[in-house]
Amino acid sequence: MDWAQYYLQLTEAAKSGQELDFFENFFRLFYQAFIEGERWRLYLRGMGVTLQLTVVALCIGIVLGVLVAVIRTAHDQQRLGRSNMLLGVFNGLCKVYTTVIRGTPMMVQLLIWSFVIFSASRNKTMVGALGIGINSGAYVAEIVRGGLMSVDVGQSEAGRSLGLNYFDTMRFIVIPQAFKNILPALGNEFITLFKDTSLVSAIGGTELIYFAKAIGSKTYEVMFPYLGIAVMYLAAVLVLTWLQGKLERRLRQSDRR
Amino acid sequence: MIDVKNLSKSFGDHLVLDDISEHISPGEKVVVIGPSGSGKSTFLRCLNLLEAPTKGTITFENTVITDPKVKIDKVRQQMGMVFQHFNLFPNMTIRQNITLAPVRTGLMKQAEADEAAEALLKRVDLSDKAEAYPNQLSGGQKQRIAIVRALAMKPKVMLFDEPTSALDPEMVGEVLDVMKELAHDGMTMVVVTHEMGFAREVGSRVLFMDGGHILEQNSPYEFFDHPQHPRTQLFLSKVL
Repeated sequence: MDWAQYYLQLTEAAKSGQELDFFENFFRLFYQAFIEGERWRLYLRGMGVTLQLTVVALCIGIVLGVLVAVIRTAHDQQRLGRSNMLLGVFNGLCKVYTTVIRGTPMMVQLLIWSFVIFSASRNKTMVGALGIGINSGAYVAEIVRGGLMSVDVGQSEAGRSLGLNYFDTMRFIVIPQAFKNILPALGNEFITLFKDTSLVSAIGGTELIYFAKAIGSKTYEVMFPYLGIAVMYLAAVLVLTWLQGKLERRLRQSDRR
Repeated sequence: MIDVKNLSKSFGDHLVLDDISEHISPGEKVVVIGPSGSGKSTFLRCLNLLEAPTKGTITFENTVITDPKVKIDKVRQQMGMVFQHFNLFPNMTIRQNITLAPVRTGLMKQAEADEAAEALLKRVDLSDKAEAYPNQLSGGQKQRIAIVRALAMKPKVMLFDEPTSALDPEMVGEVLDVMKELAHDGMTMVVVTHEMGFAREVGSRVLFMDGGHILEQNSPYEFFDHPQHPRTQLFLSKVL
C-alpha cells in the first residue's frame, strides 16, 4: 500500500475520533513530522545552517584563540627586564577578554550581541556565529596556551641554540607538538561549540532548532521533531569524534617505538 | 674567540655567577667541572645567551653579543650546543631534525642539507636511522644525533652541557668517542661534564667552578695531579 495514502487514511480516522493503536499512531506522527510536505528538507536545511554556523564560529574561535594564546605566551616568555610595552598592553586586553567571556553565560553574550550591539542586523544567524566564535575563542586560547606551555622548554632552547628565530622555532618545533597534546581538549571544545549553536535559535537564528520548533508549532506535535533533531545532533557528533580519533592516530605516528 | 668579561648572573636574589672573566681561544677544548649548583651550566648557557647575563660582556669573534642590538640568531648559528637531555624534536624524523636549521636559516638548500645529513649520519654510524623518529632510538644514539644536528650548522665552537649525564653507563662511551673525534678534528669545544677521564684525555684546559667562581684552572695533567685550591683537592678526592 502507498504510505502517503495510508497516512491520509489514519489522519482522517484520528480526526473522526477513532482510537489508533500504538503502531498506527507512531506511523502517523512520524510521517507527519518528517515526510508530509517534504518536511525532511527543512531539517536538512536547518542542519546545513547549523553546520555553517559551526564552521564560521570555529574559524573565528581558532583565529582569536591562537592569537590570544600566542600573545599571552610571548608576553610570559619575555626575558626578565626586557619587557615590551606594546606586548604588555595586548596581554592586558587578552586577559580582560578571557575573563569577561569566561565569566558570563553564553546566552547573555548572545542576547547582548543580538539586541544591544547588532540590534539593527537582520541576519541573526551570522550575529550568532560571531557571538559563539568570540565565546569559543576564549576557551580555545586557554587550551592552546596550556598546550604551548606543555612543550618542554628544552625544545625551544634546542631550536634557538641552532640559530632558528622565535617564529620558526614556534612554527616547526613547539606548535606541532603542542597541537598533538591539545587535540583531545580541542576536539571536545569543538563538539561543545557545535551543540552550543542551538542557542542561536533563541536570538532568531534559523538553524536546526528553529525548524524543529516551527514544524512542532504547525503540527501541534513536538515529540518527533525534537527526537529527530536529537538524533541528527548525535549523528553529527559521532562523525566529528570519529574524525578526531583518526587525526589523533595520524599525529601519533612519531610515537612509534 | 670567546671573551667573557665580568660576567654575573643572578636568578632573583640568588647569585649564580659572580664576576667571571675568561678567554677561550680557537681550537681549545675547555672542560668545566665542579659540584652541582656551582654555576657551570649557567656559565655555558650564558655563552650563547640561552641565559641573559645580569652583568658583564661576552664577545664572540669581535662581536659583543651581550649588546641588545646584536642579532643573536646569527651568532647562535655559529655556536653549536648539545644538551643533557638531547632535546631532539620528537615530531620530526632524524633527517628532518638535522636539516631543519640549515635550511631555514638559509645556510643550505634542502638537497644540500640532505646530503650533509647523510654524511654526518655516516660519521656517527647511524645512516640507517635517517627516517626513524627520536623515540625509536636509544639514549646514546639520540645524543650522537644531537651532536651531528649541531654540526650540520657548521659551527665554529661547540658547547656541551653535561652530554653524558642522562645516559645509561654503557652508552657513555659511544658519545664520548664522537666528541673525541670532534676534538681531534680541531673543533673548539667547551664541555661541562662529570667525566673526569674525558677531561684528562681530551681537555686542553680544565676549569674548576664552585659558588659562581672559577676557583682554579690548569692543564689537565697539572690540574688532576697537583690541584692547588683546597676546594679542588676536596672535590677531586671525592670523585676520583
